[in-house]
Amino acid sequence: MNPPDHPFSPRPDGARRLESAVFWIFRAAAYLILACGAAVFLDIVVKGSATVFQSKAPFVNTAFLTQAPESLYVFEWEGQPRRMGDREFRAFKEATPAAANVKAESYVYSSGGIFPCIAGTVLLVVGSMTIALFLGVCAAIYLNEYARDGRFIRFVRLAILNLAGVPSIVFGLFGFGMFVIFFGWNVSLLAGWFTLAFMVLPVVITASEEALKAVPIGFRAGSLALGATKWQTIWRNVLPYALPGILTSSILGIARVAGETAPIMFTAAYVVRDKLPWEVERAVDFLFQGVMALPYHIYVVSSKIPQNEFTERVQYGTAFVFLVIVALIAASSILLRNRLRTRYKW
Amino acid sequence: MSQLSSSASAPTPQFPIHKRRLRFLGLTVEDCIKSFFGGNALISVVVLGLITFFLVKEGAGFLGQNRQNLAIYRLAGLEFVDHLRRQSEDHTALTRYLSDLRLRTLNQWTGPGGLTLEAANARLAEFDDYAARFGDAADPLRGMVSDLSEVATAIKTKFLVNEDKKEERRQLLAEGKVAEAGAVVITAVDFPAELRPLRDSLPAYREANREFSTRLGALLAAAPRLPEPELQRRMDRFAELGRTYVATFPGIERDLAVWDHARPVSAAEAFTAFIFGRQWLTASFWQDWYGVVPLLTGSFLVALVALSLAVPLGVGAAVYVNQIASQREQRFIKPGIEFISAFPSVVLGFFGIAVLGQALRAMSQLPWLSWVPGFPYSERLNILTAGCLLALIAVPTIFTLAEDALNNVPRALKEASLALGASRLQTTIRIIVPASLSGIISAVLLGLGRVVGETMVVLLCAGNRIAIPDFTQGLGFIVEPVHTMTGIIAQEMGEVVRGSIHYRALFMVGLVLFILSLTINYAAQHIVRRYRISIG
Amino acid sequence: MVTVPSRLDSTPPASGPAPARRPTVVEGVPPSVPAPAAGQPLVEIEHLDFFYGASQALREITLGIERQKVTAFIGPSGCGKSTLLRCLNRMNDLIEGTRIVRGSIRIHGVDINQPDVDVIELRKRVGMVFQKSNPFPKSIHENITYGLRLQGIRDKAKLDEIVERSLRGAALWDEVKDRLGESAMGLSGGQQQRLCIARAIAVEPEIILMDEPCSALDPVATAKVEELIQDLRSRFTIVIVTHNMQQAARCSDRTAFFYLGKLIEYADTRDIFTNPANPQTEAYVSGRFG
Repeated sequence: MNPPDHPFSPRPDGARRLESAVFWIFRAAAYLILACGAAVFLDIVVKGSATVFQSKAPFVNTAFLTQAPESLYVFEWEGQPRRMGDREFRAFKEATPAAANVKAESYVYSSGGIFPCIAGTVLLVVGSMTIALFLGVCAAIYLNEYARDGRFIRFVRLAILNLAGVPSIVFGLFGFGMFVIFFGWNVSLLAGWFTLAFMVLPVVITASEEALKAVPIGFRAGSLALGATKWQTIWRNVLPYALPGILTSSILGIARVAGETAPIMFTAAYVVRDKLPWEVERAVDFLFQGVMALPYHIYVVSSKIPQNEFTERVQYGTAFVFLVIVALIAASSILLRNRLRTRYKW
Repeated sequence: MSQLSSSASAPTPQFPIHKRRLRFLGLTVEDCIKSFFGGNALISVVVLGLITFFLVKEGAGFLGQNRQNLAIYRLAGLEFVDHLRRQSEDHTALTRYLSDLRLRTLNQWTGPGGLTLEAANARLAEFDDYAARFGDAADPLRGMVSDLSEVATAIKTKFLVNEDKKEERRQLLAEGKVAEAGAVVITAVDFPAELRPLRDSLPAYREANREFSTRLGALLAAAPRLPEPELQRRMDRFAELGRTYVATFPGIERDLAVWDHARPVSAAEAFTAFIFGRQWLTASFWQDWYGVVPLLTGSFLVALVALSLAVPLGVGAAVYVNQIASQREQRFIKPGIEFISAFPSVVLGFFGIAVLGQALRAMSQLPWLSWVPGFPYSERLNILTAGCLLALIAVPTIFTLAEDALNNVPRALKEASLALGASRLQTTIRIIVPASLSGIISAVLLGLGRVVGETMVVLLCAGNRIAIPDFTQGLGFIVEPVHTMTGIIAQEMGEVVRGSIHYRALFMVGLVLFILSLTINYAAQHIVRRYRISIG
Repeated sequence: MVTVPSRLDSTPPASGPAPARRPTVVEGVPPSVPAPAAGQPLVEIEHLDFFYGASQALREITLGIERQKVTAFIGPSGCGKSTLLRCLNRMNDLIEGTRIVRGSIRIHGVDINQPDVDVIELRKRVGMVFQKSNPFPKSIHENITYGLRLQGIRDKAKLDEIVERSLRGAALWDEVKDRLGESAMGLSGGQQQRLCIARAIAVEPEIILMDEPCSALDPVATAKVEELIQDLRSRFTIVIVTHNMQQAARCSDRTAFFYLGKLIEYADTRDIFTNPANPQTEAYVSGRFG
C-alpha cells in the first residue's frame, strides 16, 4: 500500500471496511424486515387470489364474495372424487337416490362464500368509526382549542396515552362486562361498535389534534379579531381546514378497527349466522344482533377446521380478501397523508 | 362602575360593547359549547375508569370464590390425598427416568454398538426386570391413593350437592315458596366423621411407607450396571435421585400427621394461589387450580423471543433509514415498514398456522442446524413460531418510535461530531444513538407492551399448552408450546358460565394484563419525559 | 424616504397645546369623569400593570389615544408595545397566563376589562391587522364578508357593496375587482396585507390596531400600506406598532416610546423625533440603541 501522499487522502482501509460492514448490517436489518413483510403478503395474495379470481370472465369469483358460508362435502361417486357445497349436495342426493347413503367427509364453512362476514365487518367499521370520530374530534377540539395547560389537561393526556396502550383483549373483556352484561345488550352490533370505538379513540384524538395544530394560529386570531366567537371561529375557520387531515389520519384508525379480532370476539361476532344483518323484523333488532366478521371468521376457519386441500380455499380466500381490504385502507392513508403534507402549506 | 351604568343607560351608547347573551343555567351558548367539548375530552379518562371498574367488578368475586374453592379442597381431604399423590407421582417420574435410560441404552447398543434389536432387548432383560420391580414397589401406595381419592371425592361431591340444595332453597324462599323450601332436605356434612377413613389410614400408611422405603433402598443398592460410562453416569444419577426421594418420606408423614381439615384458608392465601400459583387447571374432576404463573411465563417467553428478534431489526432499520439510507431508499422503506403495521394480527396468526409453523419445523430438522437449542422439534406451534410473528408486529412500532427518537437528535450534534473528524459510523455509534437512547428504550418498551397485549397470534400459534416450560434444557424451551394471558382469555371466555369462578378468574387475568400494560406504558412515558429534559 | 422631513416640515412649528402636553407621561384624564367629553382621548389607559405569568410585561402605563389620529407605538423588541396593543381588543385573553393586575383601559369611558363586557362586541369595534398577513384560504370576496356574515348579514347586494367599498377603502379594488372569486392565497404579500385591512374595515370598527403591518413587506408594498393608513385616518382611529422609526415618523400623529415595559415618552410625533424630552428616547430615535 502506498503511503498517503497528501493530508486529505482516504483514511486507512481497515476502518473504512469496518464502517461499510456495519452499515451493511443495518441495511440488512431494514431489508430483512421488508422481505418478511413481503413474504407474508405475497404468500396470502398468491394463494388467496386463486380463490378470489378466476380465469374466465368476470375474472372475479363472485360466488365467493356474495354467498354465505356452507359446509363442504367431499366424496367419491362413480369412481370420481366430487366436492359439493351443502345445498348442492342435498340437491344431488335428491336427484340421484342411489347416492342417499354415500359416505362423505364434511368440512364446515369450506364451501360457499364470505359475504355475511364482509357485510358484518363493514357495519362494524362504519358504526364504530362514526362514534370514535365524533367523540375523538370533539375531544381534540377541546384539547387543542379550549384547554389551557393545567393539571387536569395533563391528566387527560396521560389517560389518552395510557388508553392507547391497553391490550385489545382487555377492551374485549371490558366491552363484555359493560355492554354485553351490565347494559344487557348481549352480543350485538351496538356492543361491538362502542368497544371498538373506545379502543380506537386515542388514535383518533391524536390524529385530530395534530390536524388541528396544523391550521395556522393566524386563522384563529384573524377571525377572532373580526368579532367572531370562539365557536364561530372553530366551525368556520379551523375545522374546514383541519378536516382533510383528521379524516386521513383516522383512516389508520379504520384499519385498526377492521383488523382487530379480540375486542369483538365476545361483544359482537358470531361464528355463524344464517341471516344477513339487514334481515331483521324490527329496526331496533338491527342494533342488537350479532354479526359475522371477517377477522373472526379467519380465526374460526384457521383454528377450528383442519388444514388441507379442501379447506385451503376458504382459509386463504378469506385471509386474502381481509388483507386486501385492510391494506387498501392503510395504503390510502399513507399516500393521502404524504400528499396532504405537500399540498397544505399556509 | 359609575361610568358603566351611565353609558349603559344612555339612549344610544357610544360604545355598545355590552350584550346580553342567551344563558342556560348561567352559562352562555359559548360556555355550553365549551363544556360539551370538555366533556368529550374527559371521555378517555372515563373509559379508563370504566375499564378498571368493570374488570374489578367482574374479577373481584374471584378471591372469595377461590377461597371457598381452596377451603373445600382442604375440608374434603383432597389436600391430604394430594400429599400422597405427589409421592406417587414423584415415583412415576423416577420410573420415567428409567424408561428413558432404557431407550438411550437401546439406541446406543443398536446404533454404534451394532447389535440387532432382538439381541439388544435380550441384553436388557435384567434391566427390564429391575425396572418392573422398581415400578411395582409403589403399588401399595398407588392403591392407597386411589382408595383415598374416592373417599375425598365423595366428600366433596356431598358438599357440593348440599351447596346446590342450599342455593335452591334460597331461591325458593326468595320466590316466597316457603313450603317447597322446607321440603329441600339438607344434611350438613360432618367433615370429621367423613374424614375418619383418611385419618385412620395413617398407621397403615406409615407401615406401608416403611416397607416401601426398605424395598426402594434395596433396589437402589442393587441397581444394574451398564457398560458405557455415559449410561452408567445416568444410572448413578438415578440412584442418587432415588435416595433423595426416599429421604422425603418422613417429611410427608409429618405433613400428614399435622394436617388439619379445619384450618381456615385466608384471603391472602387465595390471592397468592392466583398470583404465584403454578397450575392453571380447569374443569378437572379432582380440583381446579387458577394460578397465573404459567400464563405469565408464557406471555413473557413469547415476548422475549419476539423482542430479541424485533429489537435488533427494528432499531437497526431505524438507524439505517435515519442515518445511512439515501432519500430514495427512505421513501420506500418507511412506508413499507408502516404498511407491515397494518397487517391484521389474525392474518399473521393464520400465516403462522398455515406456513410458518411447518416451515420452521422443517428447518429445525435440517442436520446442519441441529446445534440450535431445542432443534429438532415436532410441535409446529410453539414459542418460536408465535415469537417470530409477534416480532413482525413489534418491528413497525419499534422502528417508527426509534426513528422518531433518532430524528429528534439535534442536527448540530451530528455536524459538530463530523466537523471534529469523526467518521459517519463513529458519529452514529457515539453521538446519535446515545443521545436518543432513552427514546429507543421507550420504543422497545412500547413494543413490549404491544407484544404482551397481542392476542390472535399467540392464540393461534403459541400451541396453547398450559404449562411452565422446562428450563432445565437451557434455551431449548423456546420450542415448547405455551399458553398466554391474552390467549387464555380469548379461548376460554366464550365457554365459561357467567359468574362462575372460572369466569372471574379470566377477568382477574385481564386485570393483571391491564395493570401490566399500564405499567409498561407508564415506564415508557417516564423515560421519554426524562429524555426531553436532558436534551433541554 | 423623503417623506420624513417633508411631513415634519409641513407641520407648523408650534401647534397649540402640544408643548404643554409634552410631559404626558402621567395624568391623562382624571378617572372620575363619567362620560367622555369632546376632545377627550378615545382610549384611556391608566396605571396599567400587565403580566405574562410571573414576568411583568407592562408597568404603570398611562396613555390617552385620540380619535381619528394615527398613534404609533415604538420601542425596541420586547418593550411591551405589541402587548399593549393586544390589550386594546383583549387578544391577550387567548394567551395563557396573561393578566391585568392593576389599572384600566377605557374606550369611550367604558372599562373594557369589566366582566360584563362582551369581548366579541368589543372586537367588532376594535379591529386588528396582524404582523403576518393572515388571509383565510377562501376567496377574496369571502375574506371580506367573513366578519359581516358572522353578524348575520346575508343580503347579497349589500355584501357586494361593502366588499367594493372596503376594497376601495384599502386601495385594492382596482387590482382585484376582476378576480373576487379567486383564492386570497394567490395575492402578493402586500396585497394580502391590504386585503386584511379591507377585511378589518368591512365590519366598520371605530379603532384599527395594526401590529407591525409592514414588517414582512418589501418597500414598495410598505409605501402603499403607509399611504393607505394616511387615507384611513379620516375615518378611523388607528394605533400602529412599528419598529421602523421612519414609518412612525411618516404616518403617525402621536408617538409613544416604550422601553422595558414602561412608557418613556408620549408626544406629538414631530416632537418625539425632533425634540425628545427624554434622553432614552433621543438615544433610540437617533439610532444609538434598539
